[in-house]
Amino acid sequence: MKGIVEIQIGQFFLIYLLLLVVLLIMKRCQISQSKLLIVASIRMTVQLTLAGLVLTYLFENPHPAATLSYVALMTAFSIVRVLGKHKDLNARFRLVIGLSIALPGLAVMAFFIGIVVGESLLNPQYVIPVAGMILGNTMTGTALGIKSFRESLAGQRARMMALLNLGVRPQQILLPFVRKALETALLPTLNSMLGLGIVALPGMMTGQILSGTLPTTAILYQIAIMIAICTVVCLSTFSSLYFGYHTLYNKRNQFLL
Amino acid sequence: MEALIQTTSLRCLDRLDYPPLFILEGGATFITGESGSGKSTLFRLLNGTLSPQEGTIFYQGQDIKTRDTIALRRDLLLASQEVFLFDGSIAENFAEYYRYREAMCPSQEAMQGYLSLTCADFPLDSRCETLSGGERQRVFLAICLSFEPSVLLLDEPTAALDDETASRFFRQVKAFAAEKGMTLLVICHNQGLVAQYADRCIRLEGRAM
Repeated sequence: MKGIVEIQIGQFFLIYLLLLVVLLIMKRCQISQSKLLIVASIRMTVQLTLAGLVLTYLFENPHPAATLSYVALMTAFSIVRVLGKHKDLNARFRLVIGLSIALPGLAVMAFFIGIVVGESLLNPQYVIPVAGMILGNTMTGTALGIKSFRESLAGQRARMMALLNLGVRPQQILLPFVRKALETALLPTLNSMLGLGIVALPGMMTGQILSGTLPTTAILYQIAIMIAICTVVCLSTFSSLYFGYHTLYNKRNQFLL
Repeated sequence: MEALIQTTSLRCLDRLDYPPLFILEGGATFITGESGSGKSTLFRLLNGTLSPQEGTIFYQGQDIKTRDTIALRRDLLLASQEVFLFDGSIAENFAEYYRYREAMCPSQEAMQGYLSLTCADFPLDSRCETLSGGERQRVFLAICLSFEPSVLLLDEPTAALDDETASRFFRQVKAFAAEKGMTLLVICHNQGLVAQYADRCIRLEGRAM
């Protein structure tokens, strides 16, 4: 296999021309998000450039503390992003969500790198990209699960109170909403697994193939990461909702909503 | 005479003050009072879905704080004004509520009997989504009644009914309650119905009795 062709910086900037097409369509259709497109493109460029510089430095000067700090930062960022959308949730529920993102994410990452790949857990070349993929998907899945759970509860006050007044336990009342939200959170991951290899060659596999890895090796990594992602999304959403919903009622079986 | 429910002065939600209440077993005790006087909130205090900030509620001589809340709510069952029925037929609604209560669903004849008591003589396969607000309330009341609790708390059960049907509702439900030894606590705004069907009456007047 040939190694990857280096993109020349001058040619690289040509890719931004494509954004002009998007901008043109937005103007034509009077979509008022052209400012967001520009801000998002600039932010993405700056963030990725910084990440590239930091990663280059980390790979050239690997240090366990630096790797761990990077992963800790990623974990903290994903927790803050999910919690930021649910500021009105009670403190215990928020703590449960934080732990549910961090613990399964880190545990599955450790299993993936340490046991399946058989690499050191402190090797930044493996830990950082894998943590990024796992935590990114966990963040999206958990956020979707919590959002769906809360939205479904919001319209069901009459149902919840009717059942509570009839002497039904709050656990029994809330569990169907937990199940539904878990299903909603898992569906995008499961659907993307269905289409993989036929419609889409996912980012990780594409990256490995471009950099010269044999497709058969790239496939093994991709399958492993997809299963890891599916597991983590399931674990973190399940744990957030399953342990979190108990914070919505008190010992007197009264709702605290 | 010993009270079935007795309370000390109660305070709730920072704005509602209740005088000590004394509710006897059996018959129908009607609770009246202006909107905002805390009638529905009182029912929630009695069935333990809300706790008072101050004061104590005794049921059968025992502080309700020391009782299992689920068992208490099955004993003092509140049919609230906020009606909820699942999408599906009336029979499916009975089945769903009984599934939640982990109890054996009544037979079709029994269901029809309860519906008849609450003036909701609709076929069991009627879809609840197509019923009017008043019809839905009567189906919901039939389901609540079917659990045959010791105390049934009815929050404005006849607000959506014409006088004649409301009168029939109270006559039938009172007779059924008497037969089963059930105590009725009813919130009602219609003075004519109160005069006709109340065995005892408690009037809540805003912050004070």
